This record gives sequence, structure tokens and C-alpha cells, in this order.
Amino acid sequence: MTAVEPKAVPGEVTTFQVASPHLEAVVRDLATELRLADMFAADGDTTTLRLVWANDTAGQAGYVITETPLETGVYPQLSDIAPAAFVEECEIYEQFGIRPATGKALNRVMLPPHAGLPPPGLPTLGHRPETEPEEARAAHTVGGQAFEFPFGPVRQVGVESLYYGLVTSGEEVVDLYLFTWHKHRGLEWRLQGTTPQQALFLAERTEGLSAVALGWAVAAAAEAATGTWVPEAAQRARAVALELERLYNHAAAMAALCQSTGLTVGQSAAEIALERLLRLNAQAFGHRYLFGVVAAGGVSRAPDADAIRALLPGAYGEFKRAADALLGTNSFLDRLEATGVLSAGQAKALGLVGPVARASGLAADARWVPGGPYGNETAVATGTAGDVLARFTVMLAEAAESVRLIGEFLDAGTAAGTADLPRTSGTGLGWAESPRGEALAWVELGRDGRITRARLRPASARNWRGFDDACRSQNVFTDIPIIEASFWLTVAGMAR
Amino acid sequence: MTEDELRETIARQFGRSLHIRTLDTGSCAVCEQEIRLLAAPHYDLNRLGFFFTPAPRHADLLLVTGPMIRAFAVAARKTYDAMPGPKIVVAVGACALGGVYPDDPFTHGAVDAVLPVDVWIPGCPPSPLALLHGLGVAVGRLAEKVRDVPFTEEPYPERTRGDS
Amino acid sequence: MTLWFIRGLRRGVVTTRYPARPDASAASLPTPPTFRLQALTSQTADRLAETCPSGALRRDGSVLVYDVGRCTACGRCAAAAPHAVIRSGEFELATTDRSTLIKEIPVRGEGR
Repeated sequence: MTAVEPKAVPGEVTTFQVASPHLEAVVRDLATELRLADMFAADGDTTTLRLVWANDTAGQAGYVITETPLETGVYPQLSDIAPAAFVEECEIYEQFGIRPATGKALNRVMLPPHAGLPPPGLPTLGHRPETEPEEARAAHTVGGQAFEFPFGPVRQVGVESLYYGLVTSGEEVVDLYLFTWHKHRGLEWRLQGTTPQQALFLAERTEGLSAVALGWAVAAAAEAATGTWVPEAAQRARAVALELERLYNHAAAMAALCQSTGLTVGQSAAEIALERLLRLNAQAFGHRYLFGVVAAGGVSRAPDADAIRALLPGAYGEFKRAADALLGTNSFLDRLEATGVLSAGQAKALGLVGPVARASGLAADARWVPGGPYGNETAVATGTAGDVLARFTVMLAEAAESVRLIGEFLDAGTAAGTADLPRTSGTGLGWAESPRGEALAWVELGRDGRITRARLRPASARNWRGFDDACRSQNVFTDIPIIEASFWLTVAGMAR
Repeated sequence: MTEDELRETIARQFGRSLHIRTLDTGSCAVCEQEIRLLAAPHYDLNRLGFFFTPAPRHADLLLVTGPMIRAFAVAARKTYDAMPGPKIVVAVGACALGGVYPDDPFTHGAVDAVLPVDVWIPGCPPSPLALLHGLGVAVGRLAEKVRDVPFTEEPYPERTRGDS
Repeated sequence: MTLWFIRGLRRGVVTTRYPARPDASAASLPTPPTFRLQALTSQTADRLAETCPSGALRRDGSVLVYDVGRCTACGRCAAAAPHAVIRSGEFELATTDRSTLIKEIPVRGEGR
């Protein structure tokens, strides 16, 4: 195995083999400088553990992947060094039957209870564990008076199914834990054996509100694996779609924030902006939610630049008027300030991404990784308070930036077109900044060019773990929907 | 009951004011966004006498998205059972109608595998206009069209007797 | 609050008149395909069935079984056989009878 220490190379993705005895030391070292973006396993002759680390330094961003074959079926307790790894440790146990060395209790995260019964039960990506996870939960007492009640999965009108366990001593939220396994569709399992182009159909539908971002990440992973270069005009077309996706999601988040605070007038104003943006998407790319735009090797269609130039000012005007009115409405702002606070330390420890992380002061954005259509001159909006209001203002700043970027990309020219992907084996990492944060995908292709292992990591899969902490910071029940709206995640993206 | 009598009964019971409960059996979240927009200013389902309700006891119609993930089926059944009759079940979107995900260990693949569906609305996602049409069909106020749409540019050729 | 009210009045009503009147935004919605029988050869039909990622197209002897309910209007069939597949423009697809969504499209040159 290599004696070279894994190091981040600015602007690139570098992969290092790390032998399992050295893994703990390497993780300790990398965790001081890099962000643990993802951790997953893949089967082969032995199960290989991969960790994806992100270097968020402005102007030099890149990724490091460490690969460790696990001959003994155990690996060191990485979540003690990097708490951001805990959810993935639980997931790896459920899918591969492999657990960290100390035998610490793990939660059920992806698969439903008793997924192994009756045999054969649910298909897993590897070898199913013999015993169920033991459930690690925070202690439930606050002066001995706390109680716990389950909430969901069927919830209020028009929202996804989600099960919370809410632990409370009355009004105050002591703990909040989520179960998303009732929305687990086995996406990573389904992608095995598909070609990258076929995979995009399901990848977009992992989390439909991030269809462009996740489609781009999967396509980019396949392109990296096969050494395919996407023409710049097609890259810019993808970027236009990604920014339109960001705009409509931020409008929808604004509407959800208004709904959660009971401000129906604001909600209606935001919904008018949202509807105009969705109709713009349909005119620009043929689908209100931008499905089917990203293709393996490029884009299936170029945007209708005339339609965008004609409709975007009006649609964004609605958005801005609603946002400005909200920022002048004190009763609304009172509900947002100091609600759902996440400190920079908490956001960093959990490896959070997107507007949630940026509002807590962590400046990182997957768009600024060199090599894509975005330059790195563009400012990344951040906040310091880490509360709902900070997240809202970060989203507003991002929306303004998106409008500017769309204009720039259209001026530089966009075109449809797909480069053919050669049928070769290989592995590759792809990424895109979804409206919720960095979306990652990693694929391994066999010699026939078909996927043998696909890893999907939408931003929701990373950010839900911050929701518990945000709800716990001196909040009451009625704050929970407000905090949920400010995160603007999906259950589908976590459950996959 | 004849078809006309049935339509009349439905229109009488539900035609003027109908309460809708939503149910997500595993969607990608986009169908939910289109459903939420039914209450938004551009569509305003309230003007047509439709209302959303969070309480199953108050609901007349269950609007169901997603491919009926097996791990969710019990919750789906409980939600349906909690609604008092008469009630209508509407399956929304390609996933709910059997597309995208097949009948396999994770998903039933279609809502009608677990719940008795009365109206099916195709789309991925069905736009709010398509949803309004579907709700109108559900209460007998709008006519169904798709039966008479051949989806061919030319008329179907005449078939001679004896063709399989 | 007065500001919100005044702005709302100034903007005017945005609510659609649908279903009483058609809505122009329907023209840009993605819709399930319509097939050109002239161009639907056996080979094309097989290619379309293989291309559909949603299980909406299935070959069954002399017909292409087309389940409009399973269609996601993704456009892959149109991209695979542009001479045989065109836009239908139909978005009012709801039905109380699931079987009305299943069309048997005759394949050219088969069993007439």
C-alpha cells in the first residue's frame, strides 16, 4: 500500500489507497483541514470503504478520495474523530454488515425494521448484517420530566411523509430524531446494471426538486470515469438549468417560511413568484421542474434564451418584491430571528453544506471548484447568526446572484449536444451545488460501460442531521415547521 | 346504479364542497409541490369548492402520490381507514399509476395495489391544471377525455375479423 | 399590512379561469407521445419499448402496448425515433377507468 500521505490538490479530485491499519491516522490528519463530504462502501473481492473529503478553500477547492479495502470486515470508529461520519457508519452496517471496531450502538437509517424478514427480505448493496441495529439515542431526561412522542409519517397537507420522534419536557424540544426508511426506494441498488444515460432517469427522480443538480453530479461522475469532456456551451446550458432550479427552490422555501409563520399574504406573494418561475422553466427547457435536461455527456436541449430573457425579469421582480416586503415585516422577522440556531462549530462537525452551512459562517460552494463553467470571482453569500433569518437572507442573496449568472451564461452562449461516453471501466466523482447544498455522486463502471456501483449523496442526505441540533437550541414546537422550511430539504433525498 | 345515476350521486354528495387529504407513499417531492400550488393564487382550488384538510375524519378525497413503498403500506391503509365513507381515492402521477418503479421488494409499484383507487391522474408530475381536471372528474363535474384519444396521428386501421 | 394590500390590488388577479376557459400555459407542458402509424415498423416498436425507462411501452405481437398512465413524458422515445413519435399536447388525462389509459398501437406490417 502507498506510503504517500493523502493531500488535497487544488482544483482536482485525487484518489489515494490507504491500507486499513493506517486509516485511523489518515482520517485524524485529513479531518483537521478538510471536510468529510461522504463515506460509503462498495463490494468487490473485499468490501472497500471510501471516504470523500472536500477542500473548501476559495479558489482552490477540490476533493480527495481515500479507498481502503476492509479485509477483516471491521474499521476504526471514525465518527469519534469526525462526527460527520456517524450516519454513514449506520448506513454501511445496514447495507454491508460491517461495523466500526468499538461496537458502539448504531441507528437504523435507511432500511425499515426487520428488513431481513422474511428471507430474502430487501435487497442490500452487500451482505446484510445478522442482527438489527441497536439504536443509539440521546438521553431523554431534563430534570427527569421529559417524554417522547412519535409524529408522522403522515403529516400536514401537501408535505412529504416523515416520521419524527419528538422528545420534550413540555414546550421545549429536548431531542428530535427522524426516520426516513418508509421512503426508501433502493435507488443505489436500482442503478446497478444501467448505463449512465439510463441511470439519469432515476437519478433525477431521487429528489425531484434537485433534478438538475443530482443529474449533473451523476453525469459528471460518469464523464470523469470515462474521461469524457463536455463542450463548454453544453456546460453553460447545464449551469443555466441549475441556476433556474436554485431560483424556484428559493421561492418555494420563501413560501414555506411564510406558511410556517402563518403569513398567508406573504405566502401568496411568494407562490406567485414560484409559479412564474416554474412556467419560465417550462418555456426555457420544456419541463416545469427541469427533468430530462442533463444528459450523459452534455445536455439534451439548449435553453430558449429569448424566453428566459423575456420572462426572467418579471418573475424575479415578483420574487424580489415579496422578499423586500417580508424583510420589512417585523412580525415575520421576529419569528425568524434567533430561531433554529446552528453554530459554526456544529455545522462544521456535522459536515453540513449549502445555505444552512453558509448562514452559520462556513463559506463553501461546490460551484467554485475549478474546471466547471463557473468562474471563482463570484462571491459566496454567508451569514454569521446561523438562525432562520440568516438562512433566509443567504437564500435571497443567492437568488440575486443566480439571475446575474443566468444572464452571463446566456450571453456567453449555450448549446445542446452530448459527447459520446466510451464504453470503458473506471470510477469517477461528480458534484453540483443544488439549492440545498453540494450534491455528490460517485460511480464505478464495468468494462461494458454499465454501472456496478453508484453512490448518490444529495445535500438532504447530509443536512438532515443538522436539523436535530437546530431544533434543540431553545426552540418550542411551533418553531419546528419554521426551521424545517429554512432548511428546505426533502425526505426523498435522504431516504433514496 | 347506472353510470348517470352514479355521476349524479357523486355530484350531489361532493360537487359543491370537497375536502382533500394528501398522502405521500414515496414520491420524489415534486408531485407534492404541484399539489401545494393548487392553493396558490394562480390556481386557487378554493374557488371551485375544493379545500385541503389535515384531518382524515374531515376528508372526502384522498390524493395519493408515490409508488406505494412496501414499508409505508400500513400507514397508507390506516390513513384510508380513518376517513369516513363515502370517500374517493385519487392516484396522482406516473409513480402512483405503476410507472417508474415496478412491483419489486421495495415498492408495490402502484397505489392500487394497496388502496381502492377511483381516479387516476397521469403526469410526471401532473401540473396543477391536470390536477384540477382530475379533481373535476372525481366529483363528476368535468368530462373524461382520454378514453377517446387514440394517441396516433392517423386513425387506427380497420381490423378484419379473425385478427388476434 | 396596507402595503401588501395595495401591491396586491395593483398586480391584479392572476388566477386561471381553467376549467371554464383554457389556460395558455398548457401549451408548454410536457405531454405523453402520439405515434405515427406509418413510421411504426416492428424494429422501431422494439426500439421504443426498450428505450422507455418507465415501462409505458411494451411490445405484444402485432401491437405496441402503450400505457399512458405510466408515461412520464420524458421524451426519450421521441429522441430515439423522431420520425415515429410526436407531441400529443394532451394534459387532461384523468380517468375513472384505468383501462382507458392503455392503448394498443398497431405496428406496421403486422397482422392486418
